[in-house]
Amino acid sequence: MSATENVEPGDLGPAAKAKLDRDFEGFYRDHLRDVYSYAYYKVGNHHDAEDLTEQAFLQAYRHFDRAQRESDGRPLRPWVIRIAHNLASNYYRDRSRRPQTPLDSTEPLAARHDTVAIAEGREELRQVMANLEHLSDDRREALIMRFALGMDNREIARALGRSDGATKVLIHRAIKQLQEEMGDD
Amino acid sequence: MTDSSETLSGSTWDVEQLLTDALRPIDPPQRLSGRVEDTLAAVTQAAAEELSDWAEELSESELRALRDPRNWVRPVVAVGAGGIATGALVVLELRRRGRGKGESGLRALGGGLRSRL
Repeated sequence: MSATENVEPGDLGPAAKAKLDRDFEGFYRDHLRDVYSYAYYKVGNHHDAEDLTEQAFLQAYRHFDRAQRESDGRPLRPWVIRIAHNLASNYYRDRSRRPQTPLDSTEPLAARHDTVAIAEGREELRQVMANLEHLSDDRREALIMRFALGMDNREIARALGRSDGATKVLIHRAIKQLQEEMGDD
Repeated sequence: MTDSSETLSGSTWDVEQLLTDALRPIDPPQRLSGRVEDTLAAVTQAAAEELSDWAEELSESELRALRDPRNWVRPVVAVGAGGIATGALVVLELRRRGRGKGESGLRALGGGLRSRL
């Protein structure tokens, strides 16, 4: 069997399948919060975030055996976040194809965090979330991965399919743009 | 990464700190864990059942096909086509040999003339 060949869980023998399921259970427990957070910040509501998270883990399960073999000991978090990222992109594409669907995802990030901001009495929080909306998708996603998920540059690079250097520049520019926008407000 | 900070109305913006406060990890609802686990279990179960159904259906359909006279036409046609193809090959081979003999006859004639000259 070649290293790139994908073996679906159903194709494995009972012992290998049991081990895969155990490993996946741990993987799922470790990353559920990250995937859900990412999905929530991407789509903006709990209902769709749940669907997206479920789909991401289903897809991850299907390719988990191969991902483990190819990861070579590296963390799999960027891989599952990339799955969620691709699913979220499809989610937006599907919605743009179906304009009759209520676009509850257009709710701005700032509005999603009003509760937090009000509870803490911090206008700056609302402001920074509002300015986050002005960033390009890749800049905003990089910041979500960095600050909501605590991913380092290398992980973000792998999740976004970019080089480490390009990711470092991306995050640097995103923060700089935010600082400038905060200054303009 | 904090290379600068902006001053606004006398206060200093620490954007990274604000982002840390604002972009908090979101805890998934409790029901989601159970939902994903149920779906995975269902998918695994369905895959196993589908595989065994498929294996059973395959052997049954093979047996049915063998019993059904309508499906005998194909093997008969295949045998017929094979026979025709074999016949054609035999004819071609015989013609080739015939041509080969002719050529060798001409060569023999040429050789005879050369020897006489």
